[in-house]
Amino acid sequence: MPQREFEITIGKTGEVELHVKGFKGKGCLAAVKIFEEIVGEMKSQQQTSEFYEPEEQVQYRIDQRH
Amino acid sequence: MSAVCILTPVVIMAWPAFSAAVVAAASSLGYQIASEVSSQRPGEAVHKDAKAVQLEIERSEVVTNQLGRDQRIAVSREGVTVTFSRDARGKASLCVTGNGQSDEALRAAGEELSQAVVQQYVYQKLMGEMRSRGFNVVEEEVNEDRSIRLKVRHWEN
Repeated sequence: MPQREFEITIGKTGEVELHVKGFKGKGCLAAVKIFEEIVGEMKSQQQTSEFYEPEEQVQYRIDQRH
Repeated sequence: MSAVCILTPVVIMAWPAFSAAVVAAASSLGYQIASEVSSQRPGEAVHKDAKAVQLEIERSEVVTNQLGRDQRIAVSREGVTVTFSRDARGKASLCVTGNGQSDEALRAAGEELSQAVVQQYVYQKLMGEMRSRGFNVVEEEVNEDRSIRLKVRHWEN
């Protein structure tokens, strides 16, 4: 179960700066969306290098019983 | 770190949440609660010669029922009184009055307080929503510039 970290700065005007950490790939967009729903409108967004790394994958192995 | 974004708040709240944000913001800036009434008009309590500046909180909507329509809350500090109310369009508005103050000084006081109200609204909403979604606030501090910094963790399935 991966841990996600968020650094949130609420400026004195109420504007929110959000740093999303611990995501690889586009998974962070879903997290950003949550905060967008809570706070309001997206003013700007900038992806860092990890955004372009492959997304984490969960592998399931299913054994067939006879 | 995967992304950095800036979010502009949209303030939509019921009167109790709005007045709670006003009280918290006003207290942090040294204002005293003057009154929370349903009949007083903005600026009514101050001297007739007092100047008045009318402002509104952008991107705001105070949701209320018929009974709460005329509610107001007034706070004061050093001869300046700021009365918050809901205008006819449902926006949060404020009337800043004071004797012997320039329009600019009244406007500056009103803007400082209205920004603090929006900050308190965002803080209270974020804390409530994050708690209900299982986020843990592991650090919280108020910086010198009065910004609030939170460090939050969440375990994902």
